[in-house]
Amino acid sequence: MYRVKRKAVYFGIGLILCTTANAQQDSTATTDSLLVELQRQMSPQLQPQQAVARSAPSTNPDISAIGDFRSSYTSTGSRKVETYLNELELQVASVVDPYARAEFLFSFGKDLATGDLGIELEVATLTSTSLPYQLQLVLGKFKPQFGKVNILHPHYFSFVDFPKMISNYFDGEGMFMEGLSVSWLVPVDFYQEFVLEVGRVGSEPNASLVQGDNDRLLYTTHLKNFFDLSDNATFEVGLSALSGPNHYGYSTAIAELDLTLKWKPLQFNTYKSFTWQNEVLMNRARISGTDIIHTFGAYSYAEYQIEKRWFIGARYDYSGLTDNEQQKEQAGTILLRFQPTEFQILALQYQYSDWNYAKGVSQVALRAIFGIGKHAAHAY
Amino acid sequence: MPHMHISPTNQKESKMKALHSWIILAATALAVPAVPESMQAGDKLKVVTSLPDLKSITESIGGDKVDAFAIATGFQNPHFVDPKPSYILKLSKADMFITIGLDLETGWVSPLLNSARNANVLKGAPGYVDASENVPLQQVPTSVNRGEGDIHIYGNPHYWLDPALGKIIARNICDGLKRLDRENESLYQDNLKKFNNRIDMKTKEWTAKMLPFKGTKIIAYHNEWVYFEQRFGLKIVDFLEPKPGIPPSPSQLAKVINEMKRENMKVIITSPYFTAESADLVARNVDGKVVTLATSVGADESIKTYFDLFDYNVAKMVDALK
Repeated sequence: MYRVKRKAVYFGIGLILCTTANAQQDSTATTDSLLVELQRQMSPQLQPQQAVARSAPSTNPDISAIGDFRSSYTSTGSRKVETYLNELELQVASVVDPYARAEFLFSFGKDLATGDLGIELEVATLTSTSLPYQLQLVLGKFKPQFGKVNILHPHYFSFVDFPKMISNYFDGEGMFMEGLSVSWLVPVDFYQEFVLEVGRVGSEPNASLVQGDNDRLLYTTHLKNFFDLSDNATFEVGLSALSGPNHYGYSTAIAELDLTLKWKPLQFNTYKSFTWQNEVLMNRARISGTDIIHTFGAYSYAEYQIEKRWFIGARYDYSGLTDNEQQKEQAGTILLRFQPTEFQILALQYQYSDWNYAKGVSQVALRAIFGIGKHAAHAY
Repeated sequence: MPHMHISPTNQKESKMKALHSWIILAATALAVPAVPESMQAGDKLKVVTSLPDLKSITESIGGDKVDAFAIATGFQNPHFVDPKPSYILKLSKADMFITIGLDLETGWVSPLLNSARNANVLKGAPGYVDASENVPLQQVPTSVNRGEGDIHIYGNPHYWLDPALGKIIARNICDGLKRLDRENESLYQDNLKKFNNRIDMKTKEWTAKMLPFKGTKIIAYHNEWVYFEQRFGLKIVDFLEPKPGIPPSPSQLAKVINEMKRENMKVIITSPYFTAESADLVARNVDGKVVTLATSVGADESIKTYFDLFDYNVAKMVDALK
């Protein structure tokens, strides 16, 4: 099987196309004397002007830094007030050559339990740009294409925290993976993308999955279907599945369904928008030779842009746990977000969380995201 | 080959593995029944452009040899187009992609091209056309600081709003078409000549209409009219945005009102994708007019081509200034 996969990769790389542009010039200057005279009279400064040199050529990659500062008040516990720099993300990205581009993302994060600042390489990928048959290959460490939220980095998610189903089944920032990802743009009349990924869960285990000490690998797959309902509205439905080694030496399988409706008027798309996103996750984890756990999690959120720079949102969370069928968590969240520019976001969030085995907790959280440098644009 | 003993635990593990295989297979099966796309459109080159103005010029040069599609609409802010996956689909099948360049589309073109899986339209490939090649640029900054707002590091990118520069755009597009389709090289060259002749003729007409208003001072909402301003002899004194991309503030509006009263300015030009409140407020205070100009082909139903764009804008300006 490995030989077949290797051959497939070699085949794909072998078919990479490389061509170079061959610019040509021609002369189309007008000779009409009246026009020349009129143009001279109307804007003399435009005529003699020559093409201005663009910026100096450079092979430097795009570099950006994004800070994520948080402050919160929680209704219970001995330490109710927290104020900390949650994370600093340093991203370096560039085209490698005519065949690929690369991205590296370092996270300088704070461990709330110890107070220590740790450095983690969250993303290091090589992505093909010229495979045939509408294929794209990514290798390295990345966030697997599992659902809608897991693929995001926290600074790009509207709410201060990820949905409970993500934090309970994976990690506060979702799941990372080291391996290979192949995606295929399916040749149909609408946008359909199929992704298959294989590897091991990122360096640190998450709530459901571990790297394991045998040859059992983590497999994830995702099918994304995207439809334009009108010029102003889109609908996306996605299906994901994963299978990989768990903490008990057995396997966990998780299936996921996501539905997203977006509305954004084309003409005033910087002033108004609405998003309604839903995900449900079904977990099947074997924890012993005889015991299999079935649990599920879900969330639904809506966000409305009330003005150019102001957004409001609400979210409902329900989540079980990966290895316990009895314990459940629910949460309701409301959000106010102010985005003065594309490079700064301030969010204020109230959340009430309730467990069936513990007393409910209220939390007010403030988050400031601020970025400098050239950060790669996010996908839709 | 070693003898394998199947214990009850191993049997259960085998079932688990089988289940996992089914999950993967089920997801695969959902993708496989897709109907393969057939090759269509005869010999036509499939061209995707970022803006409708580029589409219009491409159609003028390419004639019936091209099948062009514009991602943005004419009434949309070209800085902020959502990179919808449906556009990826268009780009994945394109022979050519034409961009305004100069970082105008920086927030949405790169995620589309990165996902299109089409090496033919990536920067450096024959099918990638940067329409700004050899365009003499205005407002090229000597230093860049985001504290100044949305500054474009290469210069002001709204150059298609000068019809004379449309000739350079057309030449770049013509070069691109000739690279991909040598067979019809002479047709493209002839069409370029016709396009340029028509631009020259129409520019005479447009500049003659605007001549009486040469040097007229006006206010603009956003700094996107420098090329139009210079071509037609207007003088934009200030903007409603205190800095490019920053929404109008009360203090900026007060400053503009004072400037307009002091200089007896009566016209504020704005774009279809900005809300009208700020401009209306200023106009009420100075007894002036708000003129919504078209920034691109398709901004108004009557604007079908690149030539219509200037017919519309010149008529609007003449009407406002007379």
